[in-house]
Amino acid sequence: MTQKAIDRHIAPALHPIEHISFVAPNAQLLANGATLFCLSGLQNDTSKIELHFAAGSTTNDPLTASLCAGLLINGSHQKTAKQIQKALDAVGAYYDVSLTQETAVVTLYALKNQLYNAYLIFHENLFGAIFPAKEVKDLVHSRRQKFLVQEQKVSFIAQRYFQRCLLAGTAYAKQIQLSDFDHADRAAIQAFHAQHYLCGLKKVYLVGDLQEATIKAFANLLEQYQSKLPQSAVFEWQPEQGATHIEQDGALQSAVRIGRPLFNKTHPDFCSFSVLNTVLGDYFGSRLMSNIREDKGYTYGIGSHIVESKQFGYLVIGTEVGVQTREATFREIQYEFERLKTELIPEEELNLVKSYLMGQLLKSADGPYAMLDLFANVETVGLDLSYYDRYISEVKAVDAKKLRELAQRYLIWEEMLLISAG
Amino acid sequence: MITFERFNLDNGLRVLFHKEPTTPMAVVNVLYDVGARDEDPQQTGFAHLFEHLMFGGSVHIPDFDAPLQAAGGQSNAFTSNDITNYYDVLPAQNLDTALWLESDRMLSLAFTPKSLEVQRQVVIEEFKQRYLNQPYGDAWLHLRPLAYQKHPYRWATIGKNIKHIQDATMSDVRDFFKKHYHPGNAILCIVGNFELATIKEKVNFYFSDIPSQPKSARKLSPEPPQKKFRIKTIQRKVPASSFYYAFQMGKRLDQDYYLSDLLSDHMGNEKTGILFTELQRKKKLVSEITAYITGSIDNGLFVISGKINPKRSLSELDAVLWPLLDQYKSKKMSQSALRELILKLQTAKAFQDQGLLSRAMNLSFFELLGSAELINQESARFENIQTKDLQTYAQQLLDKNRCSLLQIQAQ
Repeated sequence: MTQKAIDRHIAPALHPIEHISFVAPNAQLLANGATLFCLSGLQNDTSKIELHFAAGSTTNDPLTASLCAGLLINGSHQKTAKQIQKALDAVGAYYDVSLTQETAVVTLYALKNQLYNAYLIFHENLFGAIFPAKEVKDLVHSRRQKFLVQEQKVSFIAQRYFQRCLLAGTAYAKQIQLSDFDHADRAAIQAFHAQHYLCGLKKVYLVGDLQEATIKAFANLLEQYQSKLPQSAVFEWQPEQGATHIEQDGALQSAVRIGRPLFNKTHPDFCSFSVLNTVLGDYFGSRLMSNIREDKGYTYGIGSHIVESKQFGYLVIGTEVGVQTREATFREIQYEFERLKTELIPEEELNLVKSYLMGQLLKSADGPYAMLDLFANVETVGLDLSYYDRYISEVKAVDAKKLRELAQRYLIWEEMLLISAG
Repeated sequence: MITFERFNLDNGLRVLFHKEPTTPMAVVNVLYDVGARDEDPQQTGFAHLFEHLMFGGSVHIPDFDAPLQAAGGQSNAFTSNDITNYYDVLPAQNLDTALWLESDRMLSLAFTPKSLEVQRQVVIEEFKQRYLNQPYGDAWLHLRPLAYQKHPYRWATIGKNIKHIQDATMSDVRDFFKKHYHPGNAILCIVGNFELATIKEKVNFYFSDIPSQPKSARKLSPEPPQKKFRIKTIQRKVPASSFYYAFQMGKRLDQDYYLSDLLSDHMGNEKTGILFTELQRKKKLVSEITAYITGSIDNGLFVISGKINPKRSLSELDAVLWPLLDQYKSKKMSQSALRELILKLQTAKAFQDQGLLSRAMNLSFFELLGSAELINQESARFENIQTKDLQTYAQQLLDKNRCSLLQIQAQ
């Protein structure tokens, strides 16, 4: 075999991404007003169903929402918690319940020939849930113990304080307090379940290579829920600004959270700002990582993210640094803001970030499970998949001048909320 | 069933290729046969520190990440007690970029003093963040030297203490590279929609001129069978007392591993497991409890850990736990319970195999264990287990004389 000599100084030619295909799920409006989204085309035996309920932590008091989610499948008129679990084990199914501020998402995973059977078990016990007093008491106790451990972590302390200040004045600032565990109320959980689960189905996602008849059978069962969704709480934002340090005796590191109100995907600046945010702190080669980790060694990691919700969005920069380098870290973050506001991002760096973002989008659209998440990200804020075509063209088009302008508009140090703990 | 092709280069590099026609992405996984178990007891934490240095520029390329990001990709790595594993995920049309980068750092690193100084600091902050600055974070730093007295699993990948990282010199780092980073000590696995001929040509082009080097023999002190119960108790200001019962088990490919995996799943199940139903639910001794295995290549540990409830004590738990474990020795698990455990494991595996990266890592890992074919035999190894095997194994495993107990007592 003849071997061409290799010149290792020369990088291989790069090939841009020509096309990304975005596959919309098949949408079906159920009789109760909720939508069933199905994505098929999966070339293996796995499948999942995701139910989205209007039962997030801000829909009532956060502890009730959290306990209800934790106890959903913990005993019904028909079966005990243990019997339900055994029935699910017998079909090899797994489930989890995750809670955001707006939504409770119940996901059931099983092989495709067992998904419907698994859901039947689930369905019967979700509708018949009785929240046995003993189960409630045990969960309250174990959650309280876990909370005590969390309270010792500087990242937990800083994150909670940050959210409370940033979202001040809104329902989103409500958080579980230790004393809440003493007043957990079974009747409140039952009422919450009746209102927010049995009557609060928002949408359902189904992924897998499932038969038409199976999907139809799912639809019939899902129509037993009602879909009387509560009005979104009025969002009157009164965010706080300025610096607060929470001292923790004996801490080796301080957790830092810096941020400000921003917007979600519906805002005209969102796509371009995502590019700016990536340059600042949302990939391994970002300005913050290069400076604070790779040049100074102050931290194991630092990142900047846009957190989105249906009604709002905010920017948050988070890290954990040695206590002695905390102040220096603040100064360096401020320095990186100033650079973005005064200098133009060099072309090479900007092109790198744009290519990186395209590669990540290609990966996010790879396969039905990833595609569904991508779809959910836009559907949740009231957009459709055409958002991604707009995103691609805006990312390609945005130039250094526009990004500097965005930095001048949004990366204003005096408008930031600066929290540290440790 | 995961299909793959295998070929070797003359310099000793083992290459696996798994074709996935449905994806526009490619995965390049490089496993180096070096982990914390290969470290000098006086220089622990080295394999992991070294993993950080592998991103600090190689002999012809000043920065590892930037070219990969410009190709639309990203990269990361992890170090365990057994291996150091690097991976790149990028659009398939830019596969060459990942091969160019991986082959150059296999050839040699840039070894800049700045990179060493900075990564030393980064690792020290990682040590604080993950092990020292949170309650119970250092439990395994205490449990390992209790459960292992001879084998190098007695220290964690982060190292025995920060001082070993602080003291690392440039010449130590160079020696470590020379010894462990060469084609004969690596397994390369590529996943994506490619033809085998293309993969062969590209791998040859980028990797075949890297000089071969003899693989250094691994002489690890085996851990002798434990003959006596060991206990260590630490007094500490924590929200609740915690406990870690660690039992000696077998190697990754031993039948022990599969038996232990099933037993720990059965025992530790959050709703139906005996630990939960008896100790948390019925007796109210603990606020959380679980069972799991470490699954290391050499002899691993079967661990039962959890936290004690307020006003209950570690000794109360201990008194009740042992008779409970005896049930596994005296009674056979039901046939249906065993079938359910196996079905759950198989479902979990089907979901895990969805991911391209997970397939690439697992193929590489099984190749290291002996042959990538083993990946397709895992399921049968579980299915061949009988209830009486589990009972016999429990009698051997759950012996108090083979147990090391770490307690962190709340003050």
